[in-house]
Amino acid sequence: MKIERYDMIVIGAGPAGLSAAIEAAKKGIKPIVFDENEKPGGQLFKQIHKFFGSKEHKAKVRGFKIGEELLAEAREYGVEVVLNATVVGLYPEKEITVKIGNEIKHYKGDAVLVATGASENMVNFKGWTLPGVIGAGAAQTMMNLHHIKPGKRVLMLGSGNVGLVVSFQLLQAGCEVVALADAAPRVGGYGVHAAKVARCGVPFYLSHTIVEAEGEDCVTGVVIGQVGPDWKVIPGTEKHFDVDTICLAVGLSPMSQLLKQAGCEMSDTKGGYVPVCQEDGATSVSGIFAAGDVSGIEEASSAMIEGRMSGATISCYLGYITEEEKQARIKELEAQLDTLRQGMFAPKNRGKLVEKTEEGIAVSMSLLENGYVADTEIERYPGVTKQEGIHPVIECTQNIPCNPCQDACPKGCICIGKNITSLPVVSKEHKCIGCGMCVASCSGQAIFLVQENVEPGFGEVTMPYEFLPLPKVGEKGIALGRDGKEVCEAEVTKVRTAPVFDHTNLLTIKVPNDRIMKARFYRGENGQQSAK
Amino acid sequence: MMDIQEKLKEIGPYVEAEDDGMLVCRCEEVTKGEIRKAVHEGIFTIEELRRYLRSGMGLCQGQTCGKLVKGIVARELGVAPSEVEPASSRAPMRPIEMEILAEDGGVAHE
Repeated sequence: MKIERYDMIVIGAGPAGLSAAIEAAKKGIKPIVFDENEKPGGQLFKQIHKFFGSKEHKAKVRGFKIGEELLAEAREYGVEVVLNATVVGLYPEKEITVKIGNEIKHYKGDAVLVATGASENMVNFKGWTLPGVIGAGAAQTMMNLHHIKPGKRVLMLGSGNVGLVVSFQLLQAGCEVVALADAAPRVGGYGVHAAKVARCGVPFYLSHTIVEAEGEDCVTGVVIGQVGPDWKVIPGTEKHFDVDTICLAVGLSPMSQLLKQAGCEMSDTKGGYVPVCQEDGATSVSGIFAAGDVSGIEEASSAMIEGRMSGATISCYLGYITEEEKQARIKELEAQLDTLRQGMFAPKNRGKLVEKTEEGIAVSMSLLENGYVADTEIERYPGVTKQEGIHPVIECTQNIPCNPCQDACPKGCICIGKNITSLPVVSKEHKCIGCGMCVASCSGQAIFLVQENVEPGFGEVTMPYEFLPLPKVGEKGIALGRDGKEVCEAEVTKVRTAPVFDHTNLLTIKVPNDRIMKARFYRGENGQQSAK
Repeated sequence: MMDIQEKLKEIGPYVEAEDDGMLVCRCEEVTKGEIRKAVHEGIFTIEELRRYLRSGMGLCQGQTCGKLVKGIVARELGVAPSEVEPASSRAPMRPIEMEILAEDGGVAHE
């Protein structure tokens, strides 16, 4: 039996695995990366939205672009990626068995990094096995990789970032999202993600769960109901929707079985069954490391940094860099990771109700319960000011680690400051020129430009717009509020696209002066537009 | 090691529930009722349950139902899911044709 030897074996060519391999390859190691899929990149290539963070985290770059950059970097440094290669066993001696084609091949590494990611959770309800009940990840695969609409009318279960982001993508793909439900009493994901779904007119049903999927051979409808304190559905609260698709976004579980097989010490946490790991990725078995979602569910941005940390640690473990060099690199990466783990959604705040922002401003309860900030709440945030002339209105109301808007403004109108989670502040001293760079830069699509009295009695609202076909100048339609309900009639006065906006188009509509702080979305007369 | 007889006394007899007919492990077609009944027959760990009912032994290897099965067992036992002993992990970690598995190591690679 032939066993091939490598210094470093990586299992999983997603953001964590590739980052680790690149980091190690830069130090002279020749790593080999196995992935069971036919394409590398893990979940990154399904992510068509712009990421949060700061420049060093590739903020405002779309996920699939980050994936392309990662692949290019891997190629540049000679990282060997073997696809359609399923690792079926990992043994404590750091030997792996891999199914490639019709053969099982054996490899042995001096260091093995497990970066196998996570899989989607399911929930059971009557009819959950009917065709038409799918995971949110499956919906993303269909839409964003294969350009297939998962269905016409969809109900989304889950208000975490996955549920919110995928709901928006379903709308972009031209599906109707009839409702977003979550058994939790409050929206779990970023408020800005919720707001962009809500203003498209998707109703949020918090404290609601699925009672039943209806249909004989496939889903034809769904019944949801309100849950009481005992998580059971309160009789009489049931609501029916005609749908052909039920999308589940109810969390992820680490795919950590290989680590368990290898004898790594495991821990059953709220976030799933994970290896007991040091921050640099070292498990309890010498030479076996873990990075990314397999060691605890987080964002792709964190997975990439964790991967780089593991890459540096393995480089040191194998003698390619000194302990001092490793420490210096880890310190640098730790700082980056630390930034991402700040704010209201920091791991330490998981499941907690944060009632005040870091600035001491009350958090919008409407945002948490309905998915949008109420008109009466919006003015208390520092990004929302009243000024003469055109100026940005930044509806960023939660402390999340993200700051591209600050650098986007060429005039210095927007300030976040040193603390990346601070709410953006709009200055009244600097003069906004209405360039719209901030609008396009905001990954949360939470920045608008407003201007009163463009003509007597009428003002303009400029909004980020990621639907196709683009409305035409002169077209008339309906302005929708933050809650997705009709505010007034609106006329499209400008449509701006530019490569630097990266597909976030700037749509300007004319509405009466007293509506410029209410109108936040536009619906053409033909109804919903789609992105593809 | 928990005393099985004591625990069985503590959790009381199996009582039929309305949703017992619901499939939980779709690969091996195991229902919620079968899992609940098994607990009352003294099957307290995921390892035993997998051998007894084949739940989590199909195509997806418990990737879909693993967490759900654990939840049902935990509820039946009146413990937290983290207290339910998980199954061991062993190769092959993914479904694999016997033909391929059988040739592993048996054919000389020159």
